[in-house]
Amino acid sequence: MDIKKELSKNQTILLLMPSTEYNKIILDNIKKLSPKNIVYITLNKTSDSLKELFKKNKVKIENIVFIDAISKTIKNVPDQAEGVYYVSSPAALTEIALVIDKFLRHEFDYLVFDSLTNLLVYTEKAPVAKFVASLVNKVKQSKTNAVFYALSVKEQEALIKESGMFVDKVVEIK
Amino acid sequence: MAKKILIVDDEPDIRNTVKTVLEKNGYKVVTAANGDDGFDKWKKEKPNLVLMDIMMPGTPVREIVPKMTGAKIAYISVVRTSEAEKEDLMKSKNIVDFIQKPFDINELLKRVKKLVG
Repeated sequence: MDIKKELSKNQTILLLMPSTEYNKIILDNIKKLSPKNIVYITLNKTSDSLKELFKKNKVKIENIVFIDAISKTIKNVPDQAEGVYYVSSPAALTEIALVIDKFLRHEFDYLVFDSLTNLLVYTEKAPVAKFVASLVNKVKQSKTNAVFYALSVKEQEALIKESGMFVDKVVEIK
Repeated sequence: MAKKILIVDDEPDIRNTVKTVLEKNGYKVVTAANGDDGFDKWKKEKPNLVLMDIMMPGTPVREIVPKMTGAKIAYISVVRTSEAEKEDLMKSKNIVDFIQKPFDINELLKRVKKLVG
């Protein structure tokens, strides 16, 4: 699956993947997208761990800005550091939405949302679905192309189905 | 006398599975579903080791751990951290191990045995 090609044809994509391929896919995708400007929203991996992973795999991170919704839950960090905006927690959907909104106005090439699966760990399905719908709508009004990651897990079928209705294309990796 | 382990995790599956395995291996086990409950049970039960999920609803774990003076705590984390962050989290005198989820239950058992015997 060529993420760049898919995003050139579809502004918003929901990318479903098996958990066994998750780490490989996020790395492959960021390698393909990273020469461009990316805003990377992370809800499970700290931005420091992602930077470490990307650097280890020779991904240029200079063009990546992170919205880190997890670090504040485990350590003291300011609201902002170089290349990172910290949100209080993965459950703070309004806060996450507001920060993303700011970035969409800066015309980043790509938005990577990692991941819808993590959202459900902290919040019920209904508010998550509403959040996804609103976010996709905002992306569509911008010049940014967005990919939303989700694991293909049975327990999240309902959210995946609903989210699939909002995006331009659902791509499933088996 | 059997060693006592306190499991603090908001996921019932984790609490139940780890409890079952530890009890089968001769440990006494107490559980708690969040940091505040974990702190109360730690004070009351005085366990030899606390297995603490690093992220749970309620009072953040990083506010609870400093209050547990003298406790032996192993973090269990679903959050992926960098090596530097892990080292930083383990700087506290209380923290004796850092176990990444998902974990192999036999590996967890090995580590518990190493920490408390």
